[in-house]
Amino acid sequence: MKTKLLPLVLGLVISSQSALTFAQEKITGLQIIENVYSRPTGTDSQGDLTMSLINAQGDQRVREIKQFIKDFGDSEKKIMFFVSPADVRNTSFMNWSYDEEDKDDDQWIYLPALKKTKRISSDSKSDYFMGSDFTYDDLGDRHPSDDTHKLLREETVDDEACYVVESIPKDEEYMYSRTVTWILKDKWIGLKKEFYDEDGELLKTLTVKKYEKISGYWTILHSEMLNVQKNHSTKMELTNLKIDSGISNDTFTERIMKRGL
Amino acid sequence: MERLLNKLLKFPWLMLILILITSAGFFKIMKSNSRMETDLDEYMPQNHSAFVYSNQAEEWFNIKDGIIIAIENPDGIFNSGTIEKVKDLTKALQSMEQINKDDVTSLYTADNIIGTEDGMDVKPFFKRTPKTDEALEQLRINVLNNEMIFGRLVSADEKVTVIIAEIEDDVFSQEFYQQIVDLGKSFEGPEKIHVAGRPIVEGTMALLGPADMKRMVPIVIAVIILVLLLLLKSVKGTFFTMLVVLFSTVWAFGLMAAFGIPIYAVSTMIPVMLIAIGVADGIHLYSHLHLFLNENPDATQKQAVANMIQGMWKPVVMTSVTTAVGFISLLTSQVYPIKYFGLFTAFGVMMAMVFSLILIPAGIMAFGLPKWKKGAAEKASNKNSFAFTFSEKVIKYKYITIIATLIIVALSIAGIGKVWINSSFLDKFERDSDIVLTDQFINEHFGGTSTLNVILDSPEKDAFKNPEILNAIDKMQQDVDGSLQVVGNSFALTDYLKRMNKVMHADDEAYNIIPESRELVAQYLLLYEMSGDPENLWKVVDYNYQKANLTFQLKSDNSKTINSAIAAIERHIPELERNNVQLNYAGSGYKGLVFTDLILKGQISSLFLSLIIIVGLLSLMFKKFTIGLIGAVPIIITAVISFGVMGLLNIPLSTTTALLSSIAIGIGIDYAVHFLERYKIYALETGDKKSASQLTMQHSGRAIVFNAIVVIAGFLVLLFSVFPPNRALGALVSLNMFTSFLGTVTIMYLWLFVSNIYFNKNKKR
Repeated sequence: MKTKLLPLVLGLVISSQSALTFAQEKITGLQIIENVYSRPTGTDSQGDLTMSLINAQGDQRVREIKQFIKDFGDSEKKIMFFVSPADVRNTSFMNWSYDEEDKDDDQWIYLPALKKTKRISSDSKSDYFMGSDFTYDDLGDRHPSDDTHKLLREETVDDEACYVVESIPKDEEYMYSRTVTWILKDKWIGLKKEFYDEDGELLKTLTVKKYEKISGYWTILHSEMLNVQKNHSTKMELTNLKIDSGISNDTFTERIMKRGL
Repeated sequence: MERLLNKLLKFPWLMLILILITSAGFFKIMKSNSRMETDLDEYMPQNHSAFVYSNQAEEWFNIKDGIIIAIENPDGIFNSGTIEKVKDLTKALQSMEQINKDDVTSLYTADNIIGTEDGMDVKPFFKRTPKTDEALEQLRINVLNNEMIFGRLVSADEKVTVIIAEIEDDVFSQEFYQQIVDLGKSFEGPEKIHVAGRPIVEGTMALLGPADMKRMVPIVIAVIILVLLLLLKSVKGTFFTMLVVLFSTVWAFGLMAAFGIPIYAVSTMIPVMLIAIGVADGIHLYSHLHLFLNENPDATQKQAVANMIQGMWKPVVMTSVTTAVGFISLLTSQVYPIKYFGLFTAFGVMMAMVFSLILIPAGIMAFGLPKWKKGAAEKASNKNSFAFTFSEKVIKYKYITIIATLIIVALSIAGIGKVWINSSFLDKFERDSDIVLTDQFINEHFGGTSTLNVILDSPEKDAFKNPEILNAIDKMQQDVDGSLQVVGNSFALTDYLKRMNKVMHADDEAYNIIPESRELVAQYLLLYEMSGDPENLWKVVDYNYQKANLTFQLKSDNSKTINSAIAAIERHIPELERNNVQLNYAGSGYKGLVFTDLILKGQISSLFLSLIIIVGLLSLMFKKFTIGLIGAVPIIITAVISFGVMGLLNIPLSTTTALLSSIAIGIGIDYAVHFLERYKIYALETGDKKSASQLTMQHSGRAIVFNAIVVIAGFLVLLFSVFPPNRALGALVSLNMFTSFLGTVTIMYLWLFVSNIYFNKNKKR
C-alpha cells in the first residue's frame, strides 16, 4: 500500500495498532520514518481543499479545489477541480504518479476557456506545487531510502510525545541540505518539520494546525508552510473529507476532467 | 564694530592663538566624525510624492538596478565553452554575498515557455551544459524561437549574451566593483567580458568625482598661492589670505561633522565656493594696505592697520552678509544636501569675514607689515595710471560698452532658451572611457542599459486579467517601442500571456496576441504557476492583479531620452484611464530625473529670491534704492552669461553646474559692494565725479582684478581634470569670475557714473 511521508493534502493516517507493536524498544530514525511511510491508509479519499497563499506584503489569494484521490496499487491517481476564483472555475488538473522508479508523473490540465486538455510535464519533485510553498516532494512522495535518518531526541510538543528525526538527502544536489521532523509517537504523523536550504540555513517550517480521526484514520486537516526567507506562506485546509467512499476508477479520465463538477 | 575690532586687536597673539586652537578643534572633529554619503537615495526628499510612490513600487515588484555582464564571442555563443561560462559565471555571481541568489538572470536561470506536442511546458533552457552539436543546436533553436529571451538575453547576431545581477542601492563599493571586474576577467578568452549597468556608472561616478577633486584641489590651491604671491608681492599677505580660506573651510566642515551631517557630493562644492569668495576679503584688505602705504610710506604698523580697518570693515561686512544671505536662500530647497550646502557655505562665508577682520590685522600686528619693495610700489602706481585711463575709456566709449553688454546679454538670453537639464550619470564620463564604450556596446546589441518602470494601478482586483486593459498595455508597448529609436524594448505581463497563447496554439504566430477572454487569461496564469516559477510573475504584476509593472529599456539615461519615452507613454493615458487604470513611474532613472528637476527649480527660485533680498539689503546699506539696483548688475550679468554660455555650448544643467549660479551671487555681490563703497567714499572725499571714479578704479578695480586673476588661474587647473564634470566646473567658475569682474568695472561702473548718485546729493547740499 502506498503511503505518504507527510500526508498533507490527503492527510490519511491510520493509527495502526500493528505498527505500534512493531516498534522496537530502541527505535532508529530510519524505522520511525519507515513507520510513517509504510503506514496503511485508505484506498481513496475526496474532499474540499482550500489553499491560501500569503505573500510578504500580507496579500492573500484563496483557491478552492474539490479533489479526488485513489490508490491503484502500483500508481496513485488524483484529480482536482477548481471551484474558485470564478475565472478559473472548472479548470481541472489530473496527476498519475507511479511507484516505478524513474518513471515521471503524467499530468494533464484542462482549460475550460480553451476547451482543451493539455499535458504538462513534471520535471522535478523540487518544483513548487501551484505557486504554493509546498514542493511536490513536500506533499508526499519521498521514499525513506532517499535520505539518511537519525533519531536526534524525544520531545513533547503540545503535550504529545514526539520523536525528532533528522533526514539528510543522499543526493547532494537535492534542494534541501537536511530536514528535521517531529513525529507523533503513537500516531506516526509529522506534526512539525523544518527544511534547511543548500547553505544549511532554515528555509521553511511546516506546522500541522489540526488533525482528526476520520473513518478510523488519523487525518491532518490544517497545515501551514512558511518560507521564512521569503516570508511567504501557504495554508492548506481540508473539509468535507470522506475516506474509502468508493470512488469509481472512471473518475480519473480526461473525459471527466472536461465534464467538470 | 570698529571699536570692538580695535579692542580685540590690542591682543593680536591671543586672537591668533584662540583662532588656531578652535580651528584645530574643528579639524579634529572633522577628521573623526566626517562621513561621506554615497547612497544617492539618501539625497532625495523621501516625503516627495514621486519618490514615495517609486520606493513603494520598487518594493512591490522588487525593482532594483542591475549590473550587466556581457559575454561576447565573435564566433557565436552557442558552443559548449561559452554556454559553460554563462552557467559558471551565473553561479559565481549567485554565490557572492552582496547578491541575492534570485536576483541573477541569465540564459541559465531563465524560464523557457515552450509548446509541446500536446501542451505547454516551462523549463530551464539548460541545466547541464549541452556538449553535442545537436543539443547545442536545440538550445539555439529554443532561444531563437522565444521572443521573451532572444534580443533580451541573447543578441540578435547570436554573438553576445548577458547576465544581469540586480543589487540593492547600498551594496556598491569600490571593492565590490573590483570583485565583479576581476570575476569577469577570470572568465575571459576567447570570450570577452564587458561590465556595465547603472550601479556601475553611479558607483564609479560617486567615487571618481571626489577622488579627482582630492587630486586636483591641492594643485588649485598651489596655483592660487603662487598667483597671490605674484600679485600681493607678500609672503605674509598670501599666507594670511590663504589661512582665512583654509580656516573658514575647516570650521564649516567641522561644524557639519559636529552636527553629524554627512558629506554629500554637493558638499564638495563648499571649499570651491569658499576659495572663490574667501580670498576676496584678504585681497581687498591687503590691496588697501598697499595703496595706503604707497601714499603714506612713513606710517606705523598701528596706523596702517587702523586705517585698513576703518576703511574696509564696512565693505567686508556688507559683502559677507549679502553673500551669506544669498546662500541661506538655498534653505528654501526641498533637497536636504542643498539646504546644508547653503547653510554651511553661508557659515563659512561669515567665518571668512571674521577671520579677515581679525586674523589679517592680528597677523600684521604680530608679524609686522608686509615688506613691499619700493619698486613694487612704483609698479603699483603704473597700474594706477592704467586704472585711470581705463575708467576714462569706459565713460568715453560708453555706447560701445552699453551696446556690447546688450549684445552679450541678448546672446546669452538666446542661449538660456537652449539650456537643457540632464540627470544622466553616463554623460558625465569621457566619451572614450571604458564605461561609456561598454554601455554603447551593450546598447548596440540589446534593448538598452537604462530602464524606466511604468507602474499601472487599478482600484479593482483582477484588473490586469481584463483583456481590454491588457490590449491597451500591449498597444502602448508596441507604440513606444516602435516609434522611438531610444527605446529598445519593453517587458510586461502581456509578454507572458502572448507567449503562452502562442505556444498553446502550436506556435502559431497568429496567436501571439492577448488572449480573448478574462477566463483564458486567468487559466493561462494558473497554468504558468503550475508549470513554472511564479516568482518571475511577481516582477510584472502583483498578487491581486491590481498593479502591474511595465519595464522599458532605454538606450541612454539622459533626460532627453527619458522625457521622450514619457511623452510617448503619456499618449496612452486616456485609454488606460477609461479603464480606471492609473499610471505612474518608478525606478532610479526616473527618480534621478525628478530629483534633478527639483534641484534646478529650487536653485532658480532661490536665485531670484536671493537677488530680491540682496537688492533690498544693498538699498538699506547704502540708503538708496538705485544703488540696490546698480549693485545687482554684476550678479545678473554673471548669472545670465553663465546660463547663456551653457546653452550655447550645449553644456547641460546638472546638480553641479546649477549650483554654480550661487557663485554669481557670492562674487558678483562682493565686487559690487567693494566698488560702490569705495566710490561713495571717494565721491564724498573729492566731490569730483571723474577723480572719484579714477580713484575707485585704482583701489577697488585693482583688488577686483587681482581677485579675478587669482581664482581664475586656480580654477583653470581643473581643465586638466580627468572627470568631465570637474572640467566644466573649472571652466564655469573661471567664466563667472571673469564676467563678474568685467560687469562690475564696465556696465555697473557706467551706470553708477551716469546716475550721478553721490553728486546730485552734494549739489543739493
